[in-house]
Amino acid sequence: MSRLGTASACVLAGVVTLAGATQNAVTSTATVAYEPPAVTLVRQDGARVSLLKELDDGRPVLLNFIFTTCSSFCPLASQTFAEFQRRLGPDASKVHLMSISIDPEQDTPARLTEYARQFHAGPGWQHYTGSVAASVATQRAFDVYRGNKMSHTPVTLMRAAPGKPWLRIEGFVTPDELLKDYRTLLASR
Amino acid sequence: MRYAWRAAAALAGTLLAAAVVHADSGGSIYLRGTFADGVPVRAQRDQNVSLEGAQAACVNCHRRSGLGSIEGVITFPPIAGPYLFAAHGESLERLGVPFVDAERINHEAYTEASLARAIRDGTGANGKPLNYLMPRYQLDDAAMSDLITYLKGLNVRPAPGVTPRELHFATIITPDADPVKRSGMLAVMEQYFADKNNAVDRTKAPTLFSSHVTMFRVERRWKLHVWELSGAPATWEEQLRQHLAAEPVFAVISGLGGRNWAPVQRFCEQQALPCLFPNVEAPSGDDGDFYTIYFSRGVLLEAQLINSDLQEQSPRPHRIVQVYRADDVGAAAADALAKQSRSAALPVVNHALKAHAAPGELAGALRAVAPDDALVLWLRPPDLAALKSIPPPTQHVWVSGEMGELETAPLPPAWRGATRMAYPVDLPNLRVVRVDFALSWFRMRKIPVVAPRVQADTYLACGLVSETLNHITDAFVRDYLIERVEMALDHRALTGYYPRLTLAPGQRFASKGGYMVRFTDPDGTKLTPLGEWTTP
Repeated sequence: MSRLGTASACVLAGVVTLAGATQNAVTSTATVAYEPPAVTLVRQDGARVSLLKELDDGRPVLLNFIFTTCSSFCPLASQTFAEFQRRLGPDASKVHLMSISIDPEQDTPARLTEYARQFHAGPGWQHYTGSVAASVATQRAFDVYRGNKMSHTPVTLMRAAPGKPWLRIEGFVTPDELLKDYRTLLASR
Repeated sequence: MRYAWRAAAALAGTLLAAAVVHADSGGSIYLRGTFADGVPVRAQRDQNVSLEGAQAACVNCHRRSGLGSIEGVITFPPIAGPYLFAAHGESLERLGVPFVDAERINHEAYTEASLARAIRDGTGANGKPLNYLMPRYQLDDAAMSDLITYLKGLNVRPAPGVTPRELHFATIITPDADPVKRSGMLAVMEQYFADKNNAVDRTKAPTLFSSHVTMFRVERRWKLHVWELSGAPATWEEQLRQHLAAEPVFAVISGLGGRNWAPVQRFCEQQALPCLFPNVEAPSGDDGDFYTIYFSRGVLLEAQLINSDLQEQSPRPHRIVQVYRADDVGAAAADALAKQSRSAALPVVNHALKAHAAPGELAGALRAVAPDDALVLWLRPPDLAALKSIPPPTQHVWVSGEMGELETAPLPPAWRGATRMAYPVDLPNLRVVRVDFALSWFRMRKIPVVAPRVQADTYLACGLVSETLNHITDAFVRDYLIERVEMALDHRALTGYYPRLTLAPGQRFASKGGYMVRFTDPDGTKLTPLGEWTTP
């Protein structure tokens, strides 16, 4: 039972201004054409799904990689996704948020469902697990595989539509930045 | 979560033996992200992302030891007192503070005031902002003082059982542990320790202490203390306390249990003593605990595998009938399976055979099984062999690979067509190279292979501890040992019987799944997998 099980993620609205410059936590962005593999994943509802079909349902996609027992920075990445969804309001379902587990043996559909609940994930945000081979193949395709889940790095990927290249954001992107990038990406579609 | 809370409370208590009254509040903030009264601590990151409670707990990034960690490109520095109050340029060695690879003392020494500012405002000792990930905490002066007291109290000195030349380990054996497995395990450990010490003696290294400048490491000799328990389980914790008091050890490696490991697990949790990979078939505790790490959930995992498998049978069985010996781990397994079956509304009938059952008792239990029942046998080889004279009452039988000794289970030919075996390790043909590594070493060292699984697991445990200690220069802190084992495990290719071993903070079982198999032939050890490796 994860330590996070007893916490509720409380996301405040409103802007906190700090004396002095705010940190830019994004370390780099790039536009890349990735080739996701034709693998089967298991969605948090237990359904066996095709990764390619999940990625290509016509909607823009936001993608990140997490594991449910990560206590360091996956919670931040998930909180950011949650806030992104919240800010889109009724438009939230127009974007497909996907979080893929890099610890698939631990992250069963039940654990992913609980994790999604903790972060108040809306219907457009799905979590995925599957076989180790499928998870690794997916990680490799998006150049996030580091051999050991404890070597993971913060990466967020965004794509406006199937067939378009991906925006790769390294570092800790804020909800504001994510929204801005998303709107820019859509505008240039 | 009960054990984690108790352990956390016990840890806070033992670490701050001479501490002020508010110690518990500091520990509560650090470990749980709450004040002593349970109110969640609130914190903020840059922009408008806030967090509270467990998500805000310092332990999440800086770890229980306070020695920090490295995840990918991100370093979470050590925040145990000596690291915060030491200044750039000061020799950690002179301070008696161990080197850790997350250490980055490139700042002026903190004072209590500047540390409070760092925690509240995110400004480092050098006036620059701290890493984006570091939250800014809303703590009043009393809470801040408690937290800083706690940080100062985080012990980084060498643990008991660590001397300048020696590392002391224990292994724990319960009175009902199988004697053959016991002798096999001890033979492996004694030889492993002897090999280690021969290597140390051969190098004849001078007594150099570790320093982050020179990175010389003292090779310490390993000493093994065998703690054999006796009598009733209710007396074991007291016996273990006495053992530990008489022979302080750094950690417990391997060990062998029988029906009941819970008192040992409780003891290690209360004493904050790492217990690394005990050979137990029915582990105690869960992912919420800290100090005991297991290879697998054993028969409890098998209960999950079997339950999933039999729920998928078509047509569904009318009932589940389980047969086990009352004094063995099968009882715990049957209990686990019965609990899981409740949600499927499938009636479960348990037959607990007496410890020294009359020969006809097994046959009697099976006479009550109908053809549309699912029969689950939590039995060891002698009982499986005794099935020879009993025709299978149903064609839907499951057995425990763990208890039946895997592919060597003496399941009679008449039963093989009807039986599926839960198999919580890798298939024989897939694991042969990894296990050969251990078997070759046994051969070279002339260790009789009397219990291959236990002996291979023990050899694996020793190797894992050894490798982990290689990465720990001189930070012989018990919590840190656990944290490094968590991190180091994923790297290992040689994982013995298990296809994969992986851990993380909040995970205590390194191998997560198993197969369902059946015997290919009426006799022999050939297996046919009935699907993929499954993690229930």
